[in-house]
Amino acid sequence: MNEVSSKKSVLSDHLQDEIEDWISRYPIDQKQSAVLGALRALQHEEGYLPVEKMDAIAEYLEMPAIAVYEVASFYSMFELKPVGKHTISVCTNLSCMLRGADEIVEHLKNKLDIDLGESTPDGKFYLKQEEECLAACCGAPMMQVDHVYKENLTVEKVDAILKELDHKN
Amino acid sequence: MKTLINIIKSFTLFELLKGMSLTGKRFATKKFTVQYPEEKTPQSPRFRGLHALRKYPNGEERCIGCKLCEAVCPALAITIDSEEREDGSRRTTRYDIDLFKCVYCGFCEEACPVDAIVETRVFEYAFFERGQQIMTKDMLLEVGRKYEEEIAADRQADAPYR
Amino acid sequence: MSEETVQIFINDKEVTAPKGAMVIEVTDQLDVDVPRFCYHKKLSVAANCRMCMVEVENAPKPLPACATPVMEGMKVYTKSPLALDAQQGTMEFLLINHPLDCPVCDQGGECELQDIAMGYGNSVSRYTERKRVVPDKELGPLVSTDMTRCIHCTRCVRFGTEIAGISELGATGRGEFMEIGTYVEKSLSSELSGNVIDVCPVGALNAKPSRMSARAWEMVQSASVMPHDSVGSNVYLHTLRNQVMRVVPRENDEINETWISDRDRFSYEGLNASDRATQVMLKTDQGWQATDWDTSLTHVADKLKQYQVNDIGVLAAPHSTLEELYLLQKVFRQLGVNNIDHRTQQLDFIDQNAMPLFPYLGQTIKSIEENNSVFLVGSNIRLEQPMLAHRIRKANAIGCEVVSLNSQEFDFHFARHYTWNLAPQQWLQALAEIAKCADSIDKLPAELRNIVDAVNISTDAQQIYDLLNNSQQSSVMLGAIAQSHPQASALRALSDFIAQVTNSNFGMLAQSGNTVGAWLSGVLPHRFSAGEINPNAGLNASEMIATSRRAYVLFNLEPEFDFANSPQALEAMQTADFVVVFTPFNNEQIQQYADVILPIATFAETDGTFVNTVGHWQSIGKAVSAPGEARPAWKVLRVLANKLGFGDVQYQTSEQIRDELKQLFTDEIDFTSHLKDFSHVNLKSDVNKMHRVSETPIYAVDNIVRRASSLQIAVADQESHVAMSTEQAKQLDLLNEQVVRVVQGKREVTLPLRIVESMSDNCVWVQRSAAQKDTLGEAIAPVEVQRTANA
Repeated sequence: MNEVSSKKSVLSDHLQDEIEDWISRYPIDQKQSAVLGALRALQHEEGYLPVEKMDAIAEYLEMPAIAVYEVASFYSMFELKPVGKHTISVCTNLSCMLRGADEIVEHLKNKLDIDLGESTPDGKFYLKQEEECLAACCGAPMMQVDHVYKENLTVEKVDAILKELDHKN
Repeated sequence: MKTLINIIKSFTLFELLKGMSLTGKRFATKKFTVQYPEEKTPQSPRFRGLHALRKYPNGEERCIGCKLCEAVCPALAITIDSEEREDGSRRTTRYDIDLFKCVYCGFCEEACPVDAIVETRVFEYAFFERGQQIMTKDMLLEVGRKYEEEIAADRQADAPYR
Repeated sequence: MSEETVQIFINDKEVTAPKGAMVIEVTDQLDVDVPRFCYHKKLSVAANCRMCMVEVENAPKPLPACATPVMEGMKVYTKSPLALDAQQGTMEFLLINHPLDCPVCDQGGECELQDIAMGYGNSVSRYTERKRVVPDKELGPLVSTDMTRCIHCTRCVRFGTEIAGISELGATGRGEFMEIGTYVEKSLSSELSGNVIDVCPVGALNAKPSRMSARAWEMVQSASVMPHDSVGSNVYLHTLRNQVMRVVPRENDEINETWISDRDRFSYEGLNASDRATQVMLKTDQGWQATDWDTSLTHVADKLKQYQVNDIGVLAAPHSTLEELYLLQKVFRQLGVNNIDHRTQQLDFIDQNAMPLFPYLGQTIKSIEENNSVFLVGSNIRLEQPMLAHRIRKANAIGCEVVSLNSQEFDFHFARHYTWNLAPQQWLQALAEIAKCADSIDKLPAELRNIVDAVNISTDAQQIYDLLNNSQQSSVMLGAIAQSHPQASALRALSDFIAQVTNSNFGMLAQSGNTVGAWLSGVLPHRFSAGEINPNAGLNASEMIATSRRAYVLFNLEPEFDFANSPQALEAMQTADFVVVFTPFNNEQIQQYADVILPIATFAETDGTFVNTVGHWQSIGKAVSAPGEARPAWKVLRVLANKLGFGDVQYQTSEQIRDELKQLFTDEIDFTSHLKDFSHVNLKSDVNKMHRVSETPIYAVDNIVRRASSLQIAVADQESHVAMSTEQAKQLDLLNEQVVRVVQGKREVTLPLRIVESMSDNCVWVQRSAAQKDTLGEAIAPVEVQRTANA
């Protein structure tokens, strides 16, 4: 039987506005083009993509829920499980690796006492597994902290960045 | 001419001596006759006798119920039923070999991907009633349990040639 | 369809191909083998397996045959070194992450990957690294998964989107982490979900009920036809040691294409049910006793002769074979009985003389796809006739408008459809409104004209009329709910009228696999075989149970489930003197009312014929023999006839019976779905009273399906409940999930309430679970809904 109860209501007003804005940028019969924008907005708000909110987005954009899951799981930038507040991803691709990225990763792992792909128990930091080059080879080794590039890293510099982030909280 | 030679041969007892010389030779050489059942002939590790179902050392039965032996059997002697066991693995619920039908060709052994069904060196068995010739899964496993050491050693010996 | 063709060369052989065709379609037609995994002729082209690489002259690299359209003068080489090299390379990559666990895989022996690996694979793998392992997914009781075997062809994903109409499976993750699954754990809900088992080229998706029980090569394949819906899907029964192990589709483009519904695929479990009747049983003073056929049939014959012919009622199930139905009516007609009927799901019979020769769909199954608009009257077609719903969906996908007149919005899988939501007691008015849009209503008899005159045309009605009228090809289809309506005759007449004035096809959706066969063979009180009028019409099914007969002959029926008014039917059986039951099943419920239990064979265990909704006769042979003492019913009936003293009933084969019936059709069979006249209609109704509506649940349609355990598990979470709209609940002061009492006449039942927004006012939907019998009475009737005392 059709349960017509709308799932849209789980989305915040702000999020709905944001999705509407994305929808307005595409032709009227291609609502689903807004899925990436909508998921990004959702991740921004929640820190990750909870299933029931993805379902709501699917209903909003009139597409099958599985199609939303497919998109969400395809892009590594989307988190499917709750993660720490600050996302740290160290580039380990060729240039960075040659300039000592592995050391930086090792240092971060020891310092935060977590493995790649894990979050600290206090929920502050999330050490993301980065798959590909982050396109800042000129400043290798580098890492991305909450969308901000930190380049020419050394162990000391990393410590300073972590301290700063810790303070911010 | 022929008649003459025959006459000479019969008067000199040539045929008799020829025969006696063979007897005399054999009398002194080593004999091959085996006094069965007190004595037994040697067997190859590839001997194809009574069937057995083997288990792994940890007690898990090897047979995965793939039914390849059933398919390959030229005498249609094997009957298998299988189902999914609770742990999700494929297992037989019935594994019957009709020894009256079996021609001991060893195809089942060869088809088995996990060395579960094997033919042992056991060949001394008899049935006294109809129905006894059906080897059930339990009986086959019991044969396997009893002769496991010998079976394993035979497979090992044959391994380089397989 | 364009007539344009191009000349191309396949392996230096010149062929003519339609323009726009893909290379693989041409090679398939020529029987030139091109290996493939992701290409499936009924699905869209994905070109993601890269297996079908062929060499095309002047192309720098090999091209995928499934995604390369033919072009004039194109030279294709399927076995050239370049093509073979590409195919072998792809094969090697595909096998890298494939577990090669063929000995334990159910697909082993019929696996596309296995077959093609034999042709194109290396005998030794060069890959020594660790293989990928993917966790299995739980997809419900029908489909088992071994996802490590998946090669990501996405056929199942495309099947869901394109054929089933529900996207449930998807490819999540990417690269090495790509997995096929539902992401969140859920069972497949499509009524066609079992087809993913067939489209899967490897053993990743397999049938759960038959999991690990048989290998492909040891089963014997027998062609058959499924009797659970009116299309008669073509299947193969795969049997092993006299047991049906599984059912797979048999391709027939006119009927079921390459698909079958889950109901057809998994109903075979009912054949192996634990309560199969294996003994002839006779009720004596000392209780039930097993006996032999001779004694029991002599007893039955003697007993039946004791009753006046009018005291005997003969009721047969329309999923029996044509031969059984024909012989049944022949034997009892010869005895003088006229109370013979199969229409147990019907309540209104007043127009039975005006009915066409048989309830015809009005068009071929294939031509449904060509409709520009379809109007469904009282039908949850997706559950009633999954294969017809699939055809409508195909039409819908290319622009056909689907509108329906129902008591609520059913969960249709049509991309666009509109439901005109009305309580069942208002359907007559609704159809009258549509009819009124027509220029001339003179064709209607006075009674109906009065009704049509009295209504005002609503916008809904006008739109539906315009839609049908303006479509080049349109259809009006009368569903099962409409046919079990107390005013079915009037709905039929008006639907037919609307179809005629809008130049649409009119079709009645026959209920079961041989409903049409029952009409043709004369299992009807008012007609003999081949539609010949019976001047001494007997009682219809409804009258037979309403005015208790002294003796009943039940053929393949279970009164507690199979009647539009089941409680009444059960009562009638219980109070009757003598009840002979021809049944493949024997349980306590049956023993309560039966006096003789005659175990008969099911469709898989007898030779027989099924006539589908488009009048197509399909004869099938038996696949297995019936268990124990059970015998094909036509043989039982033959002996019974002899015992009754009809020595001329001497058939040696079922074909003789079929041919005898066929010869009765002296003229061409009359293919019309239109009623002969509209003069007899039932207009009685209580428009203002709240009505209940129900349907036969999808997996409760006949005695075999009801025993198919996996299907029952699949719908186990569909509890019995009463559904109504918020508005309605507010009016009655009821809350969601509250337990309420539904009172229908003298009977009542307590059920939890569910709020379903799309329910129309003034009616409630009584949903029963498949395993449960209906204890309320007529399927559509006035009811009261009350709060229970403890609420």
